[in-house]
Parts: sequence; C-alpha cells; structure tokens
Amino acid sequence: MAASNLRDIKRRIKSIDSTVQITNAMKLVSSAKLRKAKTIYEKVNKYLHFIQGSIEGVFQKVSEVPDEYTKAKAHVNRTCYIIITGNRGLCGGFNSSVIRRALYEMQQEQEKEKRENPLLVTIGLKGKEYFSKRGYEIESEYLSPPEDISFIDTQIGSKPIVDLYREDKIDKIVLIYNRYVDSFRQEVTVQTLLPYVYKQPETAKQTERKYIEYEPSMEEVLNYLIPKYVEVMIYDAMIESATSEHAARRMAMENASDSAKDMIKQLSLKFNQARQAAITNEITEVVRGAEAVK
Amino acid sequence: MKKNFRLEVVTPERLFYSGDIELVIVKTNSGEEGFMAGHTWAVKLLQPGQLRIQEKDEDRQNMKYAAISEGYIVVEDNVTIFTDAAEWPEEIDLARAERAKERAESRLKQISPDDIEHARLEIALHRAINRIRVKGGNHHHK
Repeated sequence: MAASNLRDIKRRIKSIDSTVQITNAMKLVSSAKLRKAKTIYEKVNKYLHFIQGSIEGVFQKVSEVPDEYTKAKAHVNRTCYIIITGNRGLCGGFNSSVIRRALYEMQQEQEKEKRENPLLVTIGLKGKEYFSKRGYEIESEYLSPPEDISFIDTQIGSKPIVDLYREDKIDKIVLIYNRYVDSFRQEVTVQTLLPYVYKQPETAKQTERKYIEYEPSMEEVLNYLIPKYVEVMIYDAMIESATSEHAARRMAMENASDSAKDMIKQLSLKFNQARQAAITNEITEVVRGAEAVK
Repeated sequence: MKKNFRLEVVTPERLFYSGDIELVIVKTNSGEEGFMAGHTWAVKLLQPGQLRIQEKDEDRQNMKYAAISEGYIVVEDNVTIFTDAAEWPEEIDLARAERAKERAESRLKQISPDDIEHARLEIALHRAINRIRVKGGNHHHK
C-alpha cells in the first residue's frame, strides 16, 4: 500500500511540474506581448486626445452645438453596447468581469427606463460565444486576434454603428471594456460614446476666439469629427483591452506558476514523509521478525 | 526671408511626420490647396490624395510626397494633419496596391450599387489608385 501511495505522489509531482513549465512559458510570452501592446496603446491614446481636442475646439467656437450627436433622441429607445473581450481564456477574470458588467448594465437600464432590448456589438470570441448562446441580438462581431488590429480594419466594423445612430435605430452607444491601469490592475469601464458629452471648460479661453475658416462648413466638419471620434475611441479601447488582456494573462500565469510550485513543495514533503514512514515500517518489521526468531 | 512653420502629420498608428516646413499641399474638398505660414486659422476636411511638403530651406523642385487617406487639417500657428493612414512612396508595395485595385474593380462590377459593400469598395479603390499614383513618381499629375 505504501509503495503505491509513493508512486501516486510522484506522478502528481511530475504532472504539476509540466504544468509549471507551460504556465511559465505562457507568462513569458504574455510579458513580451504586453510590452509591445503598451507602446502601440500609448501612441493611439495620444492621437485620440488630439481628436478629442479638435472636437472640443470646434464645440467651443460654435455658438450652437448641433443636437444630432449631443442630445438623446426622444423617439428612439434602444442602446447599442460594444463589448470587448478577449479571444482566449486563461487570463483570470478578464473576460468574465466584462461580461458580468455588461449584463448588469443592460439589466439596470431595462428595469429603470424600460428600454428596448439592446443591440450588441461583440469584439472578441469570448463575448460573442456568451451572448449569442443566450439569444442576444448581435449586430456585428470582430474576431481577429487583438495583436494585429489595424485602424482600417476596425473602421469597417465601427462605421455601421455610427450609421445606425444616424438612422435613428439606436440613440445611445455604450462601450464596455477592460481599462489598463497598470500591469497589476485592470478595471472594467463603461463609457458612453454617443450622445457626445461635451464638458464646457471651466476657464473658457476667450482670447482664442480667433476667426476660423471651416471647410466645407462647421456642420460638415463636426459630422466628420464625431463619427471619427467614435471610430478612434473603439480602436483605442480595443488596443487598451488587448494590453489589459496580456497583463491579466501574465498575472494569471504567474499566480498559477506560484501555486503550482507551492503544491510541488507540499507534495514533496508528503512524498518524503511517506517514504520515511515506509522505511520505518520496514525496519520495524525486520526488527520484529528478528525478535520473533529469537 | 521666408517664414517657416511646424507641420505634424498624425495617424492613429503613428506620428507620420514632424518638421519645420515652408509649404504643404493637400487635397481638400474644393481641390488641391496649399498652406504657408500666416494662413487664416482653419479646419478643413481632406480627401484621400497626395500630400506634398516643401521643407525648410528646400526649393519647390524638391518636395516630399506621401499618400494619405481621408482626414482633416487644422491650421493654426502651426499645422496638424490628422488622417486615417499615411505612407511614403518607399513604403508602398506597388504590386500589392495594384492587386488591391484589380480586386476592388472586379468586385465592384459584380455587386449592385445599393450594396453596403459598394461604398467600402469604392474607398478601397480610391485608396489603391492614390497609392499607385504616389508610388509611380508621376508627381506632376493633372
């Protein structure tokens, strides 16, 4: 009995050891990907700030902001949720926390405001699988791996969403994704893209009220800028979510490696104890045997 | 003395160009338009087309060319161009651009103009043609 117990423990140690090797490798891969994603993310973020700056600049100069993009529509009552998850698992609570939050938001909105069933845009395989199984209406999906997203690609996906808004099929666009705080923390964030929330700056720079030429017209420029803002926001969120995913996976793999190592330690102890016990047992048997012969 | 100003060309993916220049020419909705120092402040939409830059202390024969996608230009004391994509001629893969052009053309023939794909393909076609033109070195096109 003792011998089979020993063998069992040994087998378990071996299998955990190979798991450690895998999780360790995945951790290294994720760290490398994280580094790469972070540099891209920082660039995109800068561009987004530029665009936002331009939009606010236009808003500051126009006396009347066109209602189309800034006010809720009275006769439309439907929200489009853009939910960004990863394509793969093994990254801790990364995917499930986004999904949970999305469900919560949708439920809240429907209970309080009696809105129509939401329309979903899922980015990433995990979200798509979850919501399509449960019968949600999915307008479009985007499934390429987040490492090689290009802006042109995301544009093809995001344009139809703005069109739906323009055609009064939806009156709100909400983005739910994992925000990258630092490599240890990622936060699920809910952000309303449209209607556009314009924050009046506290100190309006009156001095900069220079004459500005808009071509073709101020409205046209805004009509270009705001959808562009939505496109860039989505792109930015996808990149940010990818960065978060790598960070989350790295953490998950690190934790897995650590706890596997702990298990190996404990099992080694158990193994040694069992071995000792077996030896002691044998000695006792030998001694007893010898004594019996006397 | 000629006046210079700073130009920045930004795409979502990178800072494409940054430098002191004398003149920049882009394609706005009303056609090719050049901007020099001291221009009235403006915000203008851009169409996919050629971007031409005359850098500081360079003469007009020696301009830099690039292909840019749609975007907008902000003219203040300095000029910033925001565009979806930008490429120098040496970055353009001519064979790829030509393949893209053919693909877009043949697809356009197959589908009806009402198809949502149609608008997208037209953009793709324009983009491909633009890239071929910039790459082709035929800078003085009409």
